[in-house]
Amino acid sequence: MSAVSTSSSRARASGPARGSGGPNGRRRLRLGEPGTAWVFLTPAIVLLAGMLLYPIIYTVWVSLSDFDVSTFQPGDWVGLKNYEAVINDPGFLQSLKVTGIYLVIALPLQLVLGFAIAFLLNVAWRGRGVLRALFLIPMVVAPVVAGGIWRMLLDPLWGVVNYALGLVGIGPIEWIGDPTLAMVSLILIDTWRWTPFVVLVASAGIMALPSDVYEAARSDGASRWQTLRHVTVPLLVPVIAAAFVVRWLGAVKMFDIALAATKGGPGQATDVVNLYIYEKGFRGLEFGSASSMATVVLMITMIITFFLFRLSRYLENRW
Amino acid sequence: MVSSGRLGRAAAIGGAILATLVFLFPVIYMVGISFKLPRDIFTVPPRWFSELTFDNYTSYFHQARILPRMVNTIIVAAGSAIISMVAGAMAGYALTRMRMRGAGVMAGLILASRAVPPIALVVPMFLVARRLGLTDQYITVILAYVTFLVPYVVWLMRAFFRSLPKELEEAAMLDGCSRFGAFFRIIVPCSMPGLISTMIYCIILAWEELLFALILTNDKAVTIPVAIAGIAADTENGGLWGPLAAVGVLTVLPVVIFALAVQKYLVKGLADGATKG
Repeated sequence: MSAVSTSSSRARASGPARGSGGPNGRRRLRLGEPGTAWVFLTPAIVLLAGMLLYPIIYTVWVSLSDFDVSTFQPGDWVGLKNYEAVINDPGFLQSLKVTGIYLVIALPLQLVLGFAIAFLLNVAWRGRGVLRALFLIPMVVAPVVAGGIWRMLLDPLWGVVNYALGLVGIGPIEWIGDPTLAMVSLILIDTWRWTPFVVLVASAGIMALPSDVYEAARSDGASRWQTLRHVTVPLLVPVIAAAFVVRWLGAVKMFDIALAATKGGPGQATDVVNLYIYEKGFRGLEFGSASSMATVVLMITMIITFFLFRLSRYLENRW
Repeated sequence: MVSSGRLGRAAAIGGAILATLVFLFPVIYMVGISFKLPRDIFTVPPRWFSELTFDNYTSYFHQARILPRMVNTIIVAAGSAIISMVAGAMAGYALTRMRMRGAGVMAGLILASRAVPPIALVVPMFLVARRLGLTDQYITVILAYVTFLVPYVVWLMRAFFRSLPKELEEAAMLDGCSRFGAFFRIIVPCSMPGLISTMIYCIILAWEELLFALILTNDKAVTIPVAIAGIAADTENGGLWGPLAAVGVLTVLPVVIFALAVQKYLVKGLADGATKG
């Protein structure tokens, strides 16, 4: 969960500071400022340098060395050997593919569902506030708990979902046991857990829509579909883009739900890349290849995130 | 917004209620299971009303040391949230309101670090903690959580600080306040809604974190998500549905109460982030 201000934030970051020159007196007042600003930034920089930057460099170092399990330290420099092995590891490639499939299906699904429900929840009536509050609840269920509960719900033998489907003559369905359905289950659980977040962001965006535009559309005789298509959606594009970026930032970290619900199985059907690397490193003790894989994932994530930020900023400026 | 026919309105309200029920069902189901005996859980058709038992909360909790783990989770969540709030709010303020060279680059770097996958950090964290003898200690987990909380706080608080009128701290500084004075005496009290909602997000995120805790703890400092992952892994044996549900209820309950109590702040924080970002 988080708020939404990705796109424009970097563009405007220097704006307010620079634009505040003001009259002379004010400027003199701020003479010592750049130094003070760094003092304000120091705690964050120290923490992030020590706990984020240093580990990243360390990971790259381990990925380029021959890790010695007996001393638990990176040993000789081996260049790109680990990377060669990793790129030819079918398990790793499979886990990348699984992660890609999950992202490509789950994120659009959650956005569409989230905005649709937000529109339903926007209709003014007495119970609206209560429903909105109740909709927050799945958002605060820990992902690992979500995985656990849904594993029970989807149990082929004792699960309520199969029981309900049985009543209408479907099933029994092997939700977790079948490779395709295990992916469906994973996406289902993730969607359950995260759609309420999209609903929350979408509701905020919908409430902020200017009402005069709608009056104009109505007086021009626009149908409801036309209004949605030509007024509402274009106005919401920045919110949609921002919600997508935030969901993306969360979804690339997918680990807990997969671990609790499917453990990556059956076979490798739901073995998302974070789970695969975790197993390699901390069960197989292959820290060298785990670090290479983590570096590859880091680079892919950063590149895609960069383009998403750019795209989202472009969309925000265009509309 | 768009006014529609009475029928459309009724359908929308019906749809909203239906969607809410569907999304709430798993939670209700979990609460139900947590009060049931195994013989009432493992049965077809499901028994909606059956004999109440507190076994899942009592006998199992003792055996799995759930309460100490709850305390661990509270310490780790509170510690990491407080550190991240102080560091993140100060940095967010400097980046939005102060003149400095390289502010854009710094902001870009801090925000970009939100995209760093934790899996790229866990190997060194584990190795370094092991070498320094710091595995299974609160401070290690707290510092690990700071990596994803600080960028998050900077991000949310920037949107918030930007919405405050500039005259606030200018007036304070003309009256002879230093930057620090202006920040702590004027800006912080004026930003309480934003600070509170951000702090709550931080606590929730730390409360449910799994990967770092899984790798950095093994006994004394084990958090609830790690314990739950262990119980979930055992469900294959079939017997632990009740305890799993009970621990799940206990994890979710404080956060739900917390979130509903401050719902106004929570939603407002997000709304501001979305619209004023």
